[in-house]
Amino acid sequence: MQKQRWLIALILALVVGSFVVLFELPLQLGLDLRGGAQLTMEVQPTKEVTQIKSEDLAAVKTVIENRVNALGVSEPLVQTVGQDKILVQLPGVTNPEQAERILGGTAQLEFREQKQGTEGEFQAEYSIKRQLEAQSVFLRKQNVDPTKLTELIQSLEGSNQALLKLFEPVGLTGKNLKDARPAPTQAGNAWEVAIRFDDVGGQKFAELTKNLAGTGRSIGIFLDNSLVSAPVVGVEFASTGISGGSAVITGNFTVETANDLAVQLRGGSLPFPVKVVENRTVGATLGQDSIRRSIIAGAAGLALVLIFMAVYYRLPGVIADVSLLIYALLSLAAFALIGVTLTLPGIAGFILSIGMAVDANVLIFERTREELRAGNTLYRSVEGGFYRAFSSILDSNVTTLISCGALFWLGSGLVKGFALTLAIGVAVSMFTALTCSRTFLLMVVLGVPGIRQKPELFCPNISNLAIAENGTSPNAAKS
Amino acid sequence: MKINVIKRERLWWASSVFIIAFGLIAMAVSWSMIGTPLKPSLDFIGGTRLQLQLECAASKSCQDPIDVAKVREVLEEEGLGGSGIQIIEDYTLSIRSKTLDVAERTKLQEVLTEKIGNFNPQTIQIDTVGPTIGQELFTSGLLALILSFVGIAVYLNFRFQADYAFFAIVALFHDVLLTVGIFAILGLTIGVEVDSLFLVALLTIIGFSVNDTVVIYDRIRENLEKYPDESINDVVDDSVNQTLTRSINTTSTTLLPLIAIFFFGGETLKYFALALIIGFVTGAYSSIFISSTLLAWWRNRPLKLRQNEPN
Repeated sequence: MQKQRWLIALILALVVGSFVVLFELPLQLGLDLRGGAQLTMEVQPTKEVTQIKSEDLAAVKTVIENRVNALGVSEPLVQTVGQDKILVQLPGVTNPEQAERILGGTAQLEFREQKQGTEGEFQAEYSIKRQLEAQSVFLRKQNVDPTKLTELIQSLEGSNQALLKLFEPVGLTGKNLKDARPAPTQAGNAWEVAIRFDDVGGQKFAELTKNLAGTGRSIGIFLDNSLVSAPVVGVEFASTGISGGSAVITGNFTVETANDLAVQLRGGSLPFPVKVVENRTVGATLGQDSIRRSIIAGAAGLALVLIFMAVYYRLPGVIADVSLLIYALLSLAAFALIGVTLTLPGIAGFILSIGMAVDANVLIFERTREELRAGNTLYRSVEGGFYRAFSSILDSNVTTLISCGALFWLGSGLVKGFALTLAIGVAVSMFTALTCSRTFLLMVVLGVPGIRQKPELFCPNISNLAIAENGTSPNAAKS
Repeated sequence: MKINVIKRERLWWASSVFIIAFGLIAMAVSWSMIGTPLKPSLDFIGGTRLQLQLECAASKSCQDPIDVAKVREVLEEEGLGGSGIQIIEDYTLSIRSKTLDVAERTKLQEVLTEKIGNFNPQTIQIDTVGPTIGQELFTSGLLALILSFVGIAVYLNFRFQADYAFFAIVALFHDVLLTVGIFAILGLTIGVEVDSLFLVALLTIIGFSVNDTVVIYDRIRENLEKYPDESINDVVDDSVNQTLTRSINTTSTTLLPLIAIFFFGGETLKYFALALIIGFVTGAYSSIFISSTLLAWWRNRPLKLRQNEPN
């Protein structure tokens, strides 16, 4: 009994914990349920560069991120998938035309020369741009009124255009940039970004820096027409410019900011065109409709299973129903805790796992009935049922997990969601069957003496079989 | 209730072979008609699906249902004559065409709005899949299928003897072939397409239906140890009967939620649920009638061969 008390305490703690988790951490819904556009972009190799390295993909991702930020969508998600794909999720977007146009295409990195006499204007405009950017980063994280964000993005766009006009092109573009990396300064207490050009680029860069050295005007580094950095050139380079094709950009860089800039520059130097190869857009109302339907389906499925178990297996069935409800609760909490994004197939996986979760209970109860029919006492039958069903339960769950593993490893986004929810379901169901069902059953069998006299609660038509409980005959027990 | 599986084994085998053969014929017919054994959705071959609902549908103020002929006219003007058109519940239009890029799709949407009426952006659904992506989805799905077959074979081989593992895999092939065959028939008759969820369903089927087989084999193994003098035929018959209630009940409890999904879960999940229902039913059938009888048949071979085995 002592062990049972501990287990009951553990189960109670888990149930309470699950409620807390579900209240504190809402379940994340996929775009197919909350509405939005999901675009898969493929980074395409060129004739010159046929291989896309993972470093390149990460650099292209930052370029895409910059473009996504320019869209003014709240809570966007950009992530790399596989070797050459980038997944962009835009919640709430139901007209993805603009996004598709802006996100595709090769990155445009350009080094420009600031025009004479624009110093004051530049300072003012640049600080406006930075303020707007900081604001938009802040707004994007909160789920604010989209029109506010759109307005902000529009003024940011205006600011970008104004800045672009203050600089003139010198024909030095991302094509000429060979590399950009963060590096510690020589003093070792700060960071800088080291850049390297090809031969043509080196000459153009020397020319550009010679013109600007000591004037206080800056080099404008533009990525997709948005200024990402505006370094000035020291007066010591006035005679020859920065020659040799290499330079460092210094400033108040930390290792992170230096890396950010380097990755942006690298991304801008890559020649890879980016193409939208998959577009899955779902309107918000349609998503809500899907949620409503799956809640109905899930509830109906759960109810049917609960009724079936109670009617067929009687008392143990009711106990299995309790553990099934605990199972559903724990699984949902596990989804929230692990951060599973629930998609439509994911919900299907969950509903399906409800049916499968019963399997372990069915195996155990069938065994228990067999033991009862073989003339064992109730307690021994219950224990025997658990003990002897275990190998079957293990085998059947492991095989399901193997399939889930294959799905998760090789599947795409939607498929992964299904595999993950099903796998969590299988794991949690093993726990609830082996602990909850068992503990509750033993509690009832050991704790309520009246139950022990009524094996028919466990197995109909058992009373005509010989039941030996504490030496009493079944006839005595029935009286 | 007691069933005698061994006595009628030829009947079980023949029915399975018959249904599978029927499915294979359907696949062959489908192959000759559209070049694929099953009707693939745009997940696998690429394409664009555009689903638009009239704005007036939300307020129930629509005058006339959408006219297919009018839509077809628009599509032909846009050079998309061969596209599939479906009207769902009078006011929702679903168009399935070749892969459209942004410009083409936007233009189509504009023309449709002009000719048919305003559409509600909140109920829109756009699916565009590039042909290469479709190919990749298909290959990775197929790979996952093969991988889990291998994984399950290895696991069973480790938990049971080799012949058990082999026949369990035979039963899995049986279930997958049967489900695929039925979907080939559904594809030919009512145009049901298979998408990536169908592959997921197949994977779930093999993960689940091997359960039934494992439970029965578990019992056969146990009974063989308990009653070494009984003939394999009797042991198999007894084992199947002892686990029969469990097999039926487990399958039923799993089918109940699936039936709920089939009826209430919406369009996306409907055929997914159907594939699982078919697969799970055949899975239960094959465990009870096919894998058990095959094992008994195999173990009944002349003794001469048996002695070579390291049992």
